[in-house]
Amino acid sequence: MGRGDLTRRELLAAGAGATFVLVTGCGGSPREEITAAKFPGGTSYDGPPLTLDFWNGFTGGDGPQMLTIIDAFTKEHPNVKVKMVTARWEDFYTKFPAAISSGKGPDVAVAHSDQLPINAAHGSIVPLDDLVADLGLSESDFAADVWQAGIYQDRRYGVPLDMHPLGMYVNTKVLKDAGLDPEDPPKDRASYEAALKKLKSKGIQGSWASPFLFTGGLQFQSLLWQFGGELVNVDGSRASWNEEPGVEALSWMKSLIDNGYSPENIGQDADNIAFKNGESAFMWNGAWGIGDYGATEGFEWSLTQLPQIGTEKAAWSGSHNLVVPRNNKPDADRMQAAKVFIDFVTQSPSWAEAGQVPARTSARESEAFKKLEAQSALAEEVPYVRFPPPVPGLADVRESTLDQAIAQALGGGVSVKEALDDSAKRANQLLKFNHEKYAA
Amino acid sequence: MEAATAGRVPGRRAGRRTSRETLRWIALILLTLLYVAPIVWMLLTAFKTEEESALTPPTLLPTEWSREALDTIFSTSSQTPVIRWFFNSMIAALGNGLLVLLTAAPAAYALARMEFRGKRLVFAGIVATLFVPPIIFLAPNYEIVEALGWLDTLPAVIFPLAASAFGVFFLRQFFIGLPKELEEAAILDGASRFQVFTRIVLPLARPALATLFTLTFLTNWNDFLWPLYVLFNPEHLTLSPGLGLLQGANATNYALLMAGGLVASIPVLIVFTFAQRYIIEGVSRSGIKG
Amino acid sequence: MNGSGTQLGVRRSTPWLFLAPYLVLFITFVAIPVVYGLWMSLHNWDQFLPEKPWVGLENYTQLFTPGSAKSAPFWSAMKATAIFTLFSVPLLVIIPLGIALLLNRRFPGRSFFRAVYFAPYVLGVAVVGILFRFMLDPNIGAFNYLLSKLGFAGDTPWTTALPWAWISLVGMTVWWTMGFNAVIYLAGLQDIDRQLYDAAEVDGASRWQRLRHVTVPGLRSVIVFVITVTLLASANMFGQAYLTTQGAPAEKTRTAIMFIAEEGFQDFHLGSAAAMSYVLALFLMALSAGVFFFFRDREEAR
Repeated sequence: MGRGDLTRRELLAAGAGATFVLVTGCGGSPREEITAAKFPGGTSYDGPPLTLDFWNGFTGGDGPQMLTIIDAFTKEHPNVKVKMVTARWEDFYTKFPAAISSGKGPDVAVAHSDQLPINAAHGSIVPLDDLVADLGLSESDFAADVWQAGIYQDRRYGVPLDMHPLGMYVNTKVLKDAGLDPEDPPKDRASYEAALKKLKSKGIQGSWASPFLFTGGLQFQSLLWQFGGELVNVDGSRASWNEEPGVEALSWMKSLIDNGYSPENIGQDADNIAFKNGESAFMWNGAWGIGDYGATEGFEWSLTQLPQIGTEKAAWSGSHNLVVPRNNKPDADRMQAAKVFIDFVTQSPSWAEAGQVPARTSARESEAFKKLEAQSALAEEVPYVRFPPPVPGLADVRESTLDQAIAQALGGGVSVKEALDDSAKRANQLLKFNHEKYAA
Repeated sequence: MEAATAGRVPGRRAGRRTSRETLRWIALILLTLLYVAPIVWMLLTAFKTEEESALTPPTLLPTEWSREALDTIFSTSSQTPVIRWFFNSMIAALGNGLLVLLTAAPAAYALARMEFRGKRLVFAGIVATLFVPPIIFLAPNYEIVEALGWLDTLPAVIFPLAASAFGVFFLRQFFIGLPKELEEAAILDGASRFQVFTRIVLPLARPALATLFTLTFLTNWNDFLWPLYVLFNPEHLTLSPGLGLLQGANATNYALLMAGGLVASIPVLIVFTFAQRYIIEGVSRSGIKG
Repeated sequence: MNGSGTQLGVRRSTPWLFLAPYLVLFITFVAIPVVYGLWMSLHNWDQFLPEKPWVGLENYTQLFTPGSAKSAPFWSAMKATAIFTLFSVPLLVIIPLGIALLLNRRFPGRSFFRAVYFAPYVLGVAVVGILFRFMLDPNIGAFNYLLSKLGFAGDTPWTTALPWAWISLVGMTVWWTMGFNAVIYLAGLQDIDRQLYDAAEVDGASRWQRLRHVTVPGLRSVIVFVITVTLLASANMFGQAYLTTQGAPAEKTRTAIMFIAEEGFQDFHLGSAAAMSYVLALFLMALSAGVFFFFRDREEAR
């Protein structure tokens, strides 16, 4: 009843109200801002010296390679320094939109092609149509599939840097010791299974089926496409991995364990380590393996295309794209510098040495690239590489449903059909939810 | 009478005593091994090359003591500035501890010694939140911290945690237990409440304050979930999310991982060796009042 | 002394001045979030989209609808938390007591041992997490190697299969925090009146009887404290699962906290995450109330 009471209550209410307004008032409407920011024309940077913040997830062997490219870039463009910051890809995609929306985002970044749609929908990255127009880039300069993968709702959001398809690595020594010819690795189901049988007779579990995304999940997707299936339907609102092709794909992977060609309950990375330690013979792994195995002293290996286990050829591929984050206060100089940086990096042939297949055709057809045996072997897959479809949020949905189903089925707790059906049922709810949410 | 001289009776009783003593020592030593061995293993692995750290079967001592992993950690262009993370964690934990003392002590004193309208309501409100699990605060505090512009900065890991009701509750218990005479005498002498608080009460409260500071420091030091999501830039991370960063995307360099752990542990263990008496006594007092 | 609120040396505003710094923090980071979180839970809240459509109680009801996309993983995560809590709490209440009893007398080197057992807590969950991730790795971990050298099976999947992953998680948590609880018990033990022990010895009580009738009752409030603190810590477990098993296999060791964090920050469904946290909170509050109730009853019965 006294003055004190009212003052306190008022104070509390005022404080609550103020903070509330502060919080909900922020956010704005990112979509309008995106269309407002335009890239200045031209292909060179003549502005004042600046440092670009460059974020990516290259925490592994590709990190140092990118740093070399950055060094070369700065030599050619002395007034543009580039500061590279890395985080694990998982954390990267969680923090990327948050940093951008709170104004602490980078000037240029790398994102996988399957993450472009959700970042575009969140307004985290800006369309790059005029950027590529300025640089004179078009589909003919790239592999068709990878160029298309950067488009979401009719706008381009990424400039493809590379492709990293899944390939089959071979431990040549293990093969030789088992009496197989490492120069002639298996190319189809029959010869692959025959090779595994022979290896088994020599006590080697030749092909490990890992329950993790790296590498079992990627293996599954490749097989799904090989058997003629698709992850989702055309508009991305329903899962289709539980149909016949998916069942065949996952059953084949399970058969590796059942037939003794793979141990059970493989830990994360354990298959990779076993491969390097000579405990297995074949390793379905991405292009990043080139750097990893190349750096392992005394390790004899080769790289070839995935065997065709299914009815057609297919290989999962991801693609790193260069993107430009939205800036609440667009800075023409920074945008121009970013554009020049993107141009330089995508043309650099040395990125291939990190084990990537360049997306740009000119880089792929260069002499320097052709000298890289392993990467060239992967490049042969270009005509039939497959990218995950551009559905926003698909990666997260897939992670919480399909990836779990693969782990469950391989772990033996659930039958293949059941695991796939169950995961598809749950995924459908999430996909429908996302479809409506991002439909704007 | 028999019992009173139990220790001095030779023969079977004493024999049982010594064998019990021996068992006790064996248990303590085995346990110590269990605690020291992993740390030693971490140290040995930090000095191996990447390949050697992932060998099966593992080697005990490094075949060649390599500084490769440690060099990576200490290199200036490093993507993994473990030293920086250590300092960030230190600043955050110290800042959090100090902030708690600065805010909770006066508040607890007011609730313990002063009468005012609404006191019961305020105290009830504060104590009620003791039972609210911290996960509730995760999403809304994230938005609030973002609105304050504190995302990716150290204030984000200092301020929100300092709002915990535990400090106020704990100190209030302590203040209530202090005899009132000293304070009342000072007031009669004309001292203001503030002077009574700072000159008389706080010095008496030193053990409780030390305990609270220690607990708050350790809680902040061990905090993992919150810093993981509010800090992004590797340079701004604290140790907990930072060390997680050392696990690579497709393959983990275990020598590097252990080197990171080692660099994070050594300074802490050094401080602990000197301050362990205070730290442990601080923690042990926390359970008494319960 | 009440009523008009005046006392010697206290102006009406003094208490509020003393409370003010804390209240600012409290209102901003505790009081408002409790309400704000509830508000968020009633919406489809993606922090990066301008619209956050109202959905009423849907975020809650979908958790209780069998077959919905969120209910299965949520309850699986709750189950993971429950399993971990069920196994870790008793071990973390009893073993540290044993250690404290072991240390509860003056002998040379006692503070050394006490410090050694306490040290892991000071190292922090991140260091402990990555250390055990390495040591328990089924293929290259030292632990399996050691086991094989001692004649046991050397290929147990400590971090990649159940029930081993649970044993690993509980084991490492005990290693990490045993010393902390032991130290609290030690202080409590020292508070017990020596004379009670002497009296019991005079009565001819055996060691075991002395433990049951003097030590444990004397530690009552400390035991309740340890149980409550450990219970809440276990129910909120995140770091160990995140670093050591990454929720494997197939997310079976993904705790409720892990799932809520993923849901909110990785999948951008903050509203749903907020709702889940309220459901978890209700469980935890009921659990704490249960613990207090259980122990209060006993006291009155005496």
